[in-house]
Amino acid sequence: MAATQQSPDQARLSIYAPTVTTPSITRAGWSIYCAKTAILKSDEIDQTTERIKIPLPEMIFGNNHVIVRHDASGWEIGFNAVDALDRVDKHGNPDGGLVKVSYSEAWLKDKAKSEDGVHEVVKPFDWTYTTDYRGTCGPKTTVFEKTDDRIPLHKLRRPDPILFFEDIVLFEDELGDNGISMLSVKIRVMPDRLLLLCRFFLRVDDVVFRIRDSRVFIEFGDNEVLREYVVKQDTYANVKRKVPFTTRDFGLFLRDQNWVAEQLPTIEAVTEKAKLLPGHASSDVR
Amino acid sequence: MDTDVTMTDAAQSTLSPVSHAMSPPSFEKSAINDTQSYNELDRWIEMLMDCKQLSELDVKRLCDMAREILVEESNVQPVKCPVTVCGDIHGQFHDLMELFKIGGPNPDTNYLFMGDYVDRGYYSVETVTLLVAMKIRHPSRLTILRGNHESRQITQVYGFYDECLRKYGNPNVWKYFTDLFDYLPLTALIENQIFCLHGGLSPSIDSLDNIRALDRIQEVPHEGPMCDLLWSDPDDRCGWGISPRGAGYTFGQDISEAFNHKNGLSLVARAHQLVMEGYNWSQDQQVVTIFSAPNYCYRCGNQAAIMEIDENLKYTFLQFDPCPRAGEPSVSRRTPDYFL
Repeated sequence: MAATQQSPDQARLSIYAPTVTTPSITRAGWSIYCAKTAILKSDEIDQTTERIKIPLPEMIFGNNHVIVRHDASGWEIGFNAVDALDRVDKHGNPDGGLVKVSYSEAWLKDKAKSEDGVHEVVKPFDWTYTTDYRGTCGPKTTVFEKTDDRIPLHKLRRPDPILFFEDIVLFEDELGDNGISMLSVKIRVMPDRLLLLCRFFLRVDDVVFRIRDSRVFIEFGDNEVLREYVVKQDTYANVKRKVPFTTRDFGLFLRDQNWVAEQLPTIEAVTEKAKLLPGHASSDVR
Repeated sequence: MDTDVTMTDAAQSTLSPVSHAMSPPSFEKSAINDTQSYNELDRWIEMLMDCKQLSELDVKRLCDMAREILVEESNVQPVKCPVTVCGDIHGQFHDLMELFKIGGPNPDTNYLFMGDYVDRGYYSVETVTLLVAMKIRHPSRLTILRGNHESRQITQVYGFYDECLRKYGNPNVWKYFTDLFDYLPLTALIENQIFCLHGGLSPSIDSLDNIRALDRIQEVPHEGPMCDLLWSDPDDRCGWGISPRGAGYTFGQDISEAFNHKNGLSLVARAHQLVMEGYNWSQDQQVVTIFSAPNYCYRCGNQAAIMEIDENLKYTFLQFDPCPRAGEPSVSRRTPDYFL
């Protein structure tokens, strides 16, 4: 379980200012705030780059966010691009583990022949924007602790009415036409529960697929929040091999995040639980 | 549809100096030097302006005609002012129509497009077919350069190939176009002053003559000067750098200053990167990035821009927003799904 040093729980909702003050929906004492707007303007990009210290993804929806807040206690968890990018490897892994595009070796070899005298990699950082972001917690958010509980999938498979649904992109980069790196948040609120999925999806053409999923599950009426973090990864070749051979268009499969997610083996999975503070019981559902 | 944008006056075209520019000896068999062909071209353009695709056979004929014109163009194609310079379009057909509304119809307005006509958007076929048809109709009034997406390899991953399969049921149209893309000029030079290209500079290229000497009629290679021109990006840091991705160059202000000075240029105009305002100055105004696909991928909310250059080489940027259309997907409103 690698990613538990410097838990993201300690991060605070300070690095960005929520732009939405009216909840998109309030249900059973929980309010959802969603902001969905354009990519950052040039001056905002300059300011954010200064703060984060790495070049930002091409499509940076820095003013988008989703916040889930328990009204009575002020317990909250939010998802935004800037906090997620702050957790990207900003210096390049010293072990040389940075991903390279598929034709890098050939390119560098050929370049060496041209003797152009250019040897230095500009500001090495993890240009795939791989992040272990699991959300940003507010000041009144209690600590998440590891649990043996699991998100009850059977309850989420029921066709309960969806009272509220949103799908918000936080950032996206086409990696110079070498694939895609994308962080997005989906949320659905049903009468008795809600599920949020923050997915990091990476495809580097002919190299690798990566998924990092953070799920937040709340059963209204229970005084707790479950969060699951799952890391999945496999080589591009292994995934491509699983595309049905009858298809004429393997790209259709490789772009389908849900299909890819089902093909990738799980490398790491951890479920955590946060208890709401006593005395701040969730309001009665019915 | 904007009928003022279509060109139906065959008589006018025969008077235009344009027809002289496109009659190399080998051109006889393409039979474009007769009124009947012009009428056919005008009919195609009219259809395409309505976002209707041509038949597979007509696309083949169109590409054959276009090849005859493009093969005669230089790797550094000279362009006269006034001209309006445009960046990436990426199959956003209806936004291209908006662009012509803002910039004025071709051929009344001369245009220079810096590549990336296909992929990403939903109407790559109609977009690239229209631009190629317009190119044939008025070759000296429209210049179309090659972008890194005008390539067999990239279009197989980023949408154009799939779109051709979907719209024609076979990959023939994709093949006709990608074969044609090999002939597109790599760069253009406006009045010996403004150097236009899709990506950026290359450490293997000091002078425009270096570019003129390249053999461009081929698939975009993975490395070398031709690749750099279509792929490289300006960077805040001085000198040449290698991208952290492990392939491709970035160039600093000192590089663009030296290049502009040596070649007597005032400006490098390029596309290739998304910018929220549609255009973006960099490197102490040595380089400008122009991006002409508003609300890129139907979700970025960015403005698009084009650069108008008048007869005195003065430039003005025109920004524009997407034009919402029925039938175009609205990515911002998705139907709820039972994701897990």
